[in-house]
Amino acid sequence: MNKNKRKILIVEDEFVNREILKNILIDDFEIFEAEDGETALEILDSKKSDLSLILLDLFLPKMSGLEVLNSIQANPELNNIPVIVLTSDKELEVQCLQYGASDFISKPYPDSSIIKARINRVVELFEDRQTIKSTERDALTRLYTKEYFYKYVADEDRHNPNANMDAIAIGIRSFHVIKERFGTSFSDSLLVRFSKRLKKLMPNISGMVCHLEADTFIVYAQHFDNYENFLEEMSANIFVEKENKTPIKVQMGIYQNVDKSIDIDVRFERAKTALNKIRDSVVKNYLIFDDKLKEKELFEEELIEAFPTAISEKQFVVFYQPKFNIQGDTPKLVSAEALVRWKHPQKGLISPGIFIPLFEEKGLIQQLDLYVWKEAASQIRKWQEKYHKHVPVSVNVSRIDLFDPTLVETLLDIVKENGLETKDLLLEITESACTDNVDVIIDKTNALRQAGFKIEIDDFGTGYSSLSMINKLPLDALKIDMIFIRNAFTSENDNKMIKIIIDIASYLKVPTIAEGVESKEQVTVLKELGCDIVQGYYFSKPVPNEEFVAFLTAEK
Amino acid sequence: MLTVENLRNYGANVTEGLQRCMNNEQLYLTLVNRFLDQNTFPDLKAAILAHDLEKAFHIAHSLKGVIGNLSLSPLYDVIYQMTELLRNRTETDYSNYIQRYELSYSMLAALR
Repeated sequence: MNKNKRKILIVEDEFVNREILKNILIDDFEIFEAEDGETALEILDSKKSDLSLILLDLFLPKMSGLEVLNSIQANPELNNIPVIVLTSDKELEVQCLQYGASDFISKPYPDSSIIKARINRVVELFEDRQTIKSTERDALTRLYTKEYFYKYVADEDRHNPNANMDAIAIGIRSFHVIKERFGTSFSDSLLVRFSKRLKKLMPNISGMVCHLEADTFIVYAQHFDNYENFLEEMSANIFVEKENKTPIKVQMGIYQNVDKSIDIDVRFERAKTALNKIRDSVVKNYLIFDDKLKEKELFEEELIEAFPTAISEKQFVVFYQPKFNIQGDTPKLVSAEALVRWKHPQKGLISPGIFIPLFEEKGLIQQLDLYVWKEAASQIRKWQEKYHKHVPVSVNVSRIDLFDPTLVETLLDIVKENGLETKDLLLEITESACTDNVDVIIDKTNALRQAGFKIEIDDFGTGYSSLSMINKLPLDALKIDMIFIRNAFTSENDNKMIKIIIDIASYLKVPTIAEGVESKEQVTVLKELGCDIVQGYYFSKPVPNEEFVAFLTAEK
Repeated sequence: MLTVENLRNYGANVTEGLQRCMNNEQLYLTLVNRFLDQNTFPDLKAAILAHDLEKAFHIAHSLKGVIGNLSLSPLYDVIYQMTELLRNRTETDYSNYIQRYELSYSMLAALR
């Protein structure tokens, strides 16, 4: 029970007075007592912000109550704890309020119900204030949250309309690898250390800083250009592992001398665009947002604006790439992968390599995924009706889809509406989607499989999932990323990588699917290595439905 | 034996004192006993006789707080007057106050 009670410190030298207060408060609070100021400060030092309230008598032996109040107010770790002063001296009451006390209780004490009410009121006010404060600060790093940071940026602009300001986005190189290798608690502590460093450096550049997400920080500062120096100061003596050997590498995207007529979030989007361009690069550690990036930004804006029309006018076209089982004497068509293309009325065919990452970032990917699922499902139905062929099609399920509580229902509805069975729709989940919130992903994948869907893990080998994670994740096939296929025939090492993936798959008792297979030689080697299914230009590039039909009719 | 009834007869504002103790009679009586046990008035008296009015004020002030919280009215009246005089470090003859306090105190102590 005690755990849930708020903690209160009574600083009062007279036993009788303490006992009266304790008797009033004992049911609602966990009580700490001090008979003099020094003891009070010791308790405060050990309990700190655990305490919800301090009741402070002004007449204390050794150290006066006002001195105690002063030390509390001077200590940033303590000065947000409310203090109620206990006094019989009217003239001291005002002084105490000036010194930072929240309220006072006179002696002789008023009725116990009055004491109770006053104490509860102060505790509540304090907690409301804490709630406001805690949303102003990021829980992990104690830096400003985005909303408050943007507000302060606006304040800054109002006070100094003519200052030349830079919007800077900062990231730690390969942070996701650090997190994967050393765990979340280590990477969190790294972020805390890095945040403290950033906070310390802010006065040097007349700037302020916000923790945006993961390892991304944004800074609004007066224009400066000795970036190398600043990068060095940010990373000095902060290491990526416990042995303190490898210093962190910091990267920056800078939008210089911001145009104050544009929205604050757009300014930082520009800094982020520059940062993203060099993210994880080993050669570049900063990039300045320029006209080229501005063009890219404009292009992306156009795509985002065009998205709703593209959906309603069916500008997105689903192509199909066949997958063949190669383990038999002759390759046999087993399924196809649905791949989306954008036939933009003005810009022509747009590569998914451009719009998919963009839609993922802007939160549009779920709508696109749903569109593709529906298109593919209706296509499968048509093939079944027209050609009496049952060729399952794999569709992409993005990470964000997995967090949608209605996912299973949505997919089941699509299957039902098109008169299909769940085995007709294969679900591809990229390995990198499975690195965070592993439990949620595992639960969701289990639910999908229970509904009858089969799960293929896409891009296997390129993410950072551990073997233990893969062991826990229910799955039905591993897809070997095309980068391994491409490299396999130029370096011995990556041939080993394919073998390892095939070994993992056979341990999990699931087939492997090789992507990006381009030559007869590759097919032969993959077959020898034990790869089951192959997809790639050797058999066919992704083709529109009309061309895909040829594969259906060729099969006996 | 100290009881709520004889404290009331003594002149204590028992209703008020009990209210502070959330009407816990046992606690109230315990605290009055405790006050009697740790009698600091001799220290106050000694400080006054030694003309250490600063020290005397502090003791009187603390005593006033406790006596006030216990609503021991006969004692409160006299300690209140003493505290106000001592607050301004008034050099005066305190013997009258001391006598009154000691008389009231012994009447209270006699209730035990």
